[in-house]
Amino acid sequence: MVILYMIFVVLGVAIFAFVFVSTRRGRAEGGQGAPVEKLERFEPIWGLFVVLLLGVLLAFTIWRAPWFQDQDGDQQVSIEGIQFGFLVQPTSVTTGTPVTFTVRSRDVNHSVGLYDPDEKLILNIEALPGNFQKRTYTFTKPGTYAIRCLEFCGYQHHKMVYPTFQVTES
Amino acid sequence: MTTAVPPYEGALPYDGSPLAPALVAARTKSLVLRFIWTSTAFLAIAGTLGLILRLNQGNVIAIDDNLWYAMMTAHGLGAFVAWAGFFLMGISFWVLLKCGFPLRTFVFAEATFWTMVIGTLGIVVTTLLAGFGGSWVFLYPIAFNSAGQWGDATTGVFSASVLFAGLSILAYCVAVLHTVISPAQQAEKDTFGQRLGLAFGFGFLSPSRFRTRRGKTPYPVLPLSVNALDMFLATLPFALLLVFQIIQSIDNDFSIDDVVAGNLLWAFGHPVVYLLLFPAAATYYYLIPRYAKRELVAGRAVAVAWLIALFMNVLVWAHHLYLQYPQDSTAQQTLNTIMQPTTYALVLPSALSLFSIAATIYRSDFEWNVASKFLVVGILSWLVAGLQGIVNATAYWQETIHNTMWIAGHLHNMAFLNMGMLIFGAMYAFLPELTGRRMYSERLGNIHLWGTVIGGYGWVTFQMIQGLMGAPRRWANWDLLDDSLITLTHVTLGFLVILVLAQLVFAYNLYKTLRSSPFEQAREVPAS
Ligand SMILES: [Cu+2]
Ligand SMILES: [Cu+2]
Repeated sequence: MVILYMIFVVLGVAIFAFVFVSTRRGRAEGGQGAPVEKLERFEPIWGLFVVLLLGVLLAFTIWRAPWFQDQDGDQQVSIEGIQFGFLVQPTSVTTGTPVTFTVRSRDVNHSVGLYDPDEKLILNIEALPGNFQKRTYTFTKPGTYAIRCLEFCGYQHHKMVYPTFQVTES
Repeated sequence: MTTAVPPYEGALPYDGSPLAPALVAARTKSLVLRFIWTSTAFLAIAGTLGLILRLNQGNVIAIDDNLWYAMMTAHGLGAFVAWAGFFLMGISFWVLLKCGFPLRTFVFAEATFWTMVIGTLGIVVTTLLAGFGGSWVFLYPIAFNSAGQWGDATTGVFSASVLFAGLSILAYCVAVLHTVISPAQQAEKDTFGQRLGLAFGFGFLSPSRFRTRRGKTPYPVLPLSVNALDMFLATLPFALLLVFQIIQSIDNDFSIDDVVAGNLLWAFGHPVVYLLLFPAAATYYYLIPRYAKRELVAGRAVAVAWLIALFMNVLVWAHHLYLQYPQDSTAQQTLNTIMQPTTYALVLPSALSLFSIAATIYRSDFEWNVASKFLVVGILSWLVAGLQGIVNATAYWQETIHNTMWIAGHLHNMAFLNMGMLIFGAMYAFLPELTGRRMYSERLGNIHLWGTVIGGYGWVTFQMIQGLMGAPRRWANWDLLDDSLITLTHVTLGFLVILVLAQLVFAYNLYKTLRSSPFEQAREVPAS
């Protein structure tokens, strides 16, 4: 994701840099040198190109949206958010088989931000006050995971953590 | 420093106003100046708050937890709505006038100004003094679950204050629509339908059916019309949510569904970004051709794109709810699925605008001065932050970035380094004609530019890196997390010092400018 983004940033900025430098030549030509009609004809082509690119991105990503990842797994974990802590049951799972998290809240919106042992954010499941959400995930890396609240929930939001969720080798 | 620009080439003298044109120009001038100075004062407050928030995250200072969140609430609303939104609403009246669309009445524009001032003062009081710290999105029902930090009465007054800001936006929309759907379109057959069609770009799509005496509709009109109609529609659900909160603050038995509330919020919360971006686009459309010394290179496609924007802008809000997919109904999930492609569609107006701007500058005799350099930085940020926007619009990628500092970095990249740069550029471009005074120092202007660019990009870049490292957004401090986050925060503070110093240079430059004696103005508005 980051690499793809960086490539487009570099490309885009390079094109603009080229455009800005071209104004030196433009000055020499008194601004008359630009092929305005050609450029105008290119406008719809550029538009179609953008549509195409986005179409490809959509096709690759939409079916991976988090709300499609809710099939019941063999392991079940229930997490409840409450100002300002988490109730986690059970507190340990194993690698290799799908785990289904069922997440709810007792008061306001919270969120289960699950960080792996290397501090990488891997899951982000919203905890809704009037409802519940399911998200299924298969762990590959054993170790101690941390759960942190990632939806603003009040003045102790930054202290709402559950530091010891265990994932063991199956 | 000469950054005053000639009026829009397509503008013909407009004589259909009930107010005499010269008088309208003079009154619009003082009105727009009021928007500019007031919003800039709000920037000073909101910016200071932002700095305090960051100092606390870097453990340089230690303030009370709830006060931090209250400041965060004030900072968000203040910087986004009371500075950038407010400024751009004001400046668009000037851009319209320069394009040959003077205000036909000052009632709505004045209402825009005063309701925003009242709303902002109410927000300042309820957050900083009464401790409302629900964040600017105040996800329902947090306003009523403060864990003892503020009372329902405070929630009621806060909601009413935000409602005033909403009324300001509604008044602005009416002011713009009333101005563009008007005789100033100079339609050959001057009917309501013709005026309406021309305001929304049908003059480009069907030139034979929408004929005018002026030729092409000035491009800046399109984003302003689209924004005004969309914001009018989008503010209504938000106003409803605020009214519900006011009712609940009085009658405790009253409540609403939190998922419905989320949708009401974001039906406004998304388009409000374009309350900034679209007037900014209009201002680019107006100013860039002046500096490139030729008309905007654009054809029909950009008109098609703005028409797409008109519909899609109000049909994308669920991308803010990608991580909310309650299991008891699939409605929200369906909505989320639909709103990824509709969000992608909104890339088009940006992509085509950037194309038009680049094509206009390409091999032109472009005038590089402080104003135009600010605009160019803004355009580059539009590109960079727009690409981040595509990442954010993709639900699959949301889980690892949602509510992290990546989002905070992205929104500052877009709001401050695109719209903000445009705002500064517009100040350098328009203040000479608005105040009748030349900018005191071009050199100080350049220092302001480079300080803002280096400070700004250093700051947002490291914020985004923190986000990719998983740093949560809206956390008063990261004491429970890795120390490297604090170190990076110190790096951003270094850049913020540069940024703040640059703004002080700007303030001094403005002060000296206003103290100088006015120059004789030859031609300030479309011939009257
Ligand atoms: Cu929280
Ligand atoms: Cu949005």
